[in-house]
Amino acid sequence: MIRFLEISNQTLFWYYLATNLAYLAMLIIALKTSARHQHRLESHRLSWFKDTPMTPPITIIAPAHNEETSIRVAIRNLLELDYPELEIIVVNDGSEDRTLEELREEFRLRPVRMVYVAETKSAPVRGLYRSDVDSRLVVIDKEAGGSKADAVNAGLNAATSPYVCVVDSDSVLERDGLLRIMMPILEDPKRVVAVGGIVRVLNGSEIVGGQLRRVRLPRKSLEAIQVIEYLRAFLIGREAWAQGNMLMIISGAFGLFRTDLVRAVGGYRANSIGEDMDLVARLHRHLREKGADYQIRFVPDPMCWTEVPSDLRSLGRQRARWQKGLLDVLWPNRDMLFRPRYGRIGSFALPYLWLFELFAPVMEIVGITTIILAASLGVLSRQFFLQFLIFGYAFATVISIGSVLQEEITYKRYNDWKDVVRLVSYCFFEHFPYRQMHMIWRLQGLWQYFRGDHVWKPVKRKGLASAQVQ
Amino acid sequence: MESIFEKLWRLGPAAFVLKAIIGAIVADGLLLAFIFLRRTYRKRFFAKRDARVFELRRQWDALISGKIPYETWRRKTFDRRIIEAMALDAFEAAGPEESARLLKFMRTSGLIEKRIFEAQHLKSWRRMRALVALGRTRAPEGVPALAEALRDRHLEIRLAALRGLGRTACPQAAEEILAWVGEAGLSVPALPLQSALIQCCAERPQLLLPFVKQAEGPLREILGRVLGEVATPAMGLELLQFVGDEREELRAAAARAMSQTDTGLAFDALTELAGDRTWFVRLRAIIGVGRLADPRAIPTLLKGLTDSNRLVRLRAAEGLVQFRAVMVPVFQQVVQLRDRYGLHAYLTALENADLRGKLEAQIQSSTRAVDEERSALQKVLQTGALPAEETSGREEVPDPAGLRP
Repeated sequence: MIRFLEISNQTLFWYYLATNLAYLAMLIIALKTSARHQHRLESHRLSWFKDTPMTPPITIIAPAHNEETSIRVAIRNLLELDYPELEIIVVNDGSEDRTLEELREEFRLRPVRMVYVAETKSAPVRGLYRSDVDSRLVVIDKEAGGSKADAVNAGLNAATSPYVCVVDSDSVLERDGLLRIMMPILEDPKRVVAVGGIVRVLNGSEIVGGQLRRVRLPRKSLEAIQVIEYLRAFLIGREAWAQGNMLMIISGAFGLFRTDLVRAVGGYRANSIGEDMDLVARLHRHLREKGADYQIRFVPDPMCWTEVPSDLRSLGRQRARWQKGLLDVLWPNRDMLFRPRYGRIGSFALPYLWLFELFAPVMEIVGITTIILAASLGVLSRQFFLQFLIFGYAFATVISIGSVLQEEITYKRYNDWKDVVRLVSYCFFEHFPYRQMHMIWRLQGLWQYFRGDHVWKPVKRKGLASAQVQ
Repeated sequence: MESIFEKLWRLGPAAFVLKAIIGAIVADGLLLAFIFLRRTYRKRFFAKRDARVFELRRQWDALISGKIPYETWRRKTFDRRIIEAMALDAFEAAGPEESARLLKFMRTSGLIEKRIFEAQHLKSWRRMRALVALGRTRAPEGVPALAEALRDRHLEIRLAALRGLGRTACPQAAEEILAWVGEAGLSVPALPLQSALIQCCAERPQLLLPFVKQAEGPLREILGRVLGEVATPAMGLELLQFVGDEREELRAAAARAMSQTDTGLAFDALTELAGDRTWFVRLRAIIGVGRLADPRAIPTLLKGLTDSNRLVRLRAAEGLVQFRAVMVPVFQQVVQLRDRYGLHAYLTALENADLRGKLEAQIQSSTRAVDEERSALQKVLQTGALPAEETSGREEVPDPAGLRP
């Protein structure tokens, strides 16, 4: 037992150190990259991109399942987007509420026969509609496929543009979001095959006429803590990974892909739990196997605002699903690990995800247990342990404040002083008990996966009412 | 047994951990201080800037006419930056007269000279900023400095120079870009180059022709695409030579360009290209044929309706629904094709153009069709399905680009 505790403590120590150092490295890379990105932005004029006839058309695919509360605002927001060549496909994925009726009323839909070829798998389509208010809007009404992937595939089957942008229908995009996300493609269309956009927390902000008018920090602590999580994940994590062309996830809430490639890999995997990450992993695999010179890029400009869960139960479900999704992607792609053919994806990105993302909750729970055991057996230097704990706390806070700093020096969307003070204060308070709860949810996710529980549990949402809609 | 914590404690790194704690706490404090100090500074800076912008805006006419001597603000960096930003923003929305006035102001105040100097001598992002600003002025004297930056070894500088040159939208800039790609080859991604050339060649597209003829490989394709965008009816004869080009991009460009040219010349060329082996050449040709709105194009468009590529079918259908005077005969021919993909494409185009009702009415009142035929057409129109026994079972051919059907 004592030998076990010794090994466990040693492993925990080095694991914890490695995690923190990895985060520190990512923070430094991200700060440097952001500064460069800001300078590059100064030499770009978005309107120039809009004016050129070479700007490629985009099809936006917005899957909607029981979104009656937010669908009108969300689609109005999409129609307001500033992009010259746009097609918007809303996929009503067997909603049991009034989603389709809301769309019908608001956008005066009429049934049409469109070219719909089931190249990628999805549940049967019941009807296709086009809006009389705005002919760019197409609605696909289909039977429930049980997953977002299934709905997106239906949209892919009807898409006619060389690029598809997948968005969540409960998200709000900034007016110039598409121009911004297209920038890497416009600069290098041959190599850039996909671009991930940043997703920010919408709760608490003000929306007027489908447009985000004022960004505010959510009032509820649980939502505000998620703001820090999102900042950390996107502005530090993804920014840094994308620098090495090792981005393994493009958020399902806002991502742009080359249509032909998505079709070439068979679209989204309908039964996958983490469909967004799964698609990116398969794109990497496909392109690496073909020996293609490609890039998957990330744009950190604030573009997409999404609602986050506002109660513990929903948040727990979401995080458990994310963890399940992670395992669901990593396990089928385990053959990519350490194979030279897959380059840095196999030798660096995937091992990192296995070690520091998938195993993280396991390591945490083992660590906590063994420390308690060691303490109870009297083999733990409490003084040193306490010091190590304080160091860990202070260091993790540095990373969190670093992400707030990143936001401050680059995009600065929280203009109110009170919001910033609150945001910074949550950097100190998120470590207890939120972090421990997070660990439990992730463990639940793993447990559910091994038990074969892949059922999609609905996450309670307020619709865009979580923002103040006017 | 001792834990790792015990060992570290005994070995002495506890002191190190203590230092690390202090370091992390200091880092926290510094980060916080930086955030709050920066906020305070920016708040004051923008308040001051806002007030100054307001003041300068009120004196704007006097400023650009020179009534307020340039010397009074040129040496003040804060004022100069604001005035330059205001002038550059004004350029974006200015008409020819206002642009000329602004350009005169930029010249006489020395702002253009300053930007030219910066574009030639600064480094990194400062140079990029200067290049783009120079382009925004659309001043011809800025072109040499921009062209010089095209030869920079950093891609981002080259791209900024290209954007700047594109913005000037003058043939002189086009000549510089074409000379540069002629000597250095393709050292920037295709899209920015195309965009810049399209802007600069719009006035004199003939500039491109010798370069397209001489260029090879991907550059030839890119120039061909630009040519397709900027070609004018006057270039019809010169474009005919590309119809049989071995490069598909050139043929597509020729198809795109031919649709802008004289109908008589274009028709035969486009009909030939509509049967090309490459789908996007056919697509361009079908779009072009559709644009001609010539009834002679109906057979070509009907053939396009049975194309193996979905986009070609859609465009052919869009071309066909334009013939409003002969909707019923066209619809009859579409049904006779016995191609359900083609039929769907036609019905989609019909509905998108909101012409379904019109076709229904025309079928109803048609004197050319017998009752039975009329009801069969109505049924096809309503159900979107061909008569069951006549449905074609066209095999799909794999499409590696994933763009079909």
